[in-house]
Amino acid sequence: MKKVVSEISGVVFSLPWLVAKDNGLFEAEGIDMEFVKAIRTGPVEHTENPEDVNPILGHVAFEQGQVSIYRA
Amino acid sequence: MRSAVASQAIMVPPDSPHNYPGTLGNQPVAVNFHAGSHYVGLRLLEGYLPVEKIKLVHYGSPIHRFESMLNGEVAAAVVMEPWIALGEKLGCKTVAEGHYLGAENASEDMDEETFAAINRAVENAVDLINADKRKYLHYLIDDPSFAQAAAKYGGLTPEDFHLPRLRYTRPAVYTDEMVEDTYNWLTRWGLLSDLACSADLVDNRIAEPASADD
Repeated sequence: MKKVVSEISGVVFSLPWLVAKDNGLFEAEGIDMEFVKAIRTGPVEHTENPEDVNPILGHVAFEQGQVSIYRA
Repeated sequence: MRSAVASQAIMVPPDSPHNYPGTLGNQPVAVNFHAGSHYVGLRLLEGYLPVEKIKLVHYGSPIHRFESMLNGEVAAAVVMEPWIALGEKLGCKTVAEGHYLGAENASEDMDEETFAAINRAVENAVDLINADKRKYLHYLIDDPSFAQAAAKYGGLTPEDFHLPRLRYTRPAVYTDEMVEDTYNWLTRWGLLSDLACSADLVDNRIAEPASADD
């Protein structure tokens, strides 16, 4: 089995991944899939300038190499 | 492309005077900058308003956008499911809504065989979901990041969802035209440096060209 770690953020974006894991579809393809939750942000400083906000948002695990795939 | 063709809706409170996007000029609209709510919010509002009247404000996570709209702190908020379903259950009005594409972002060291195996599993899951969407709504309803917040508004049941809004397709590649159109749109809004080259942004090398939308 090939180990893969995937980030999960909003469920609506990752629903097929959750269904695939719970129904053994990754396993059937030889993939040992592990999910890591994206970092949830609390209240943020309000701004009208997008340049004030880091575009990485909660996808820190991917940037740090802890997961190998995520969807956005 | 990812399999979720998600939707973002511009929502206003039940008693809001706004009934279509054209009256939201110079009114604060809560979004999450550099994410779907930001991009779809711009795409929807620019069809109704001059650029200088569009006032998006970064509020971060969906709960903060949703509640800032509900309590009147902002005129409107851009949210996705299951927040749209919750808003509609509470009588909030959707003044505009748009579906959009997203990406599967894989690390450079993911090999073609692994990526293809993942996509096959996801494709099979998409088929399961599309065969009976309501069966899988519990994933949305019970997600801790949503359920805890939604509980104080009465929560959701599977019957509260508009199923055609939930669209899942088989993962596919971005065409050059899609990349170029998106690149041009992002640079026009100043959301991407025009020093970047569109060819640097998407690498379809390990996606399966045979995959297609349902």
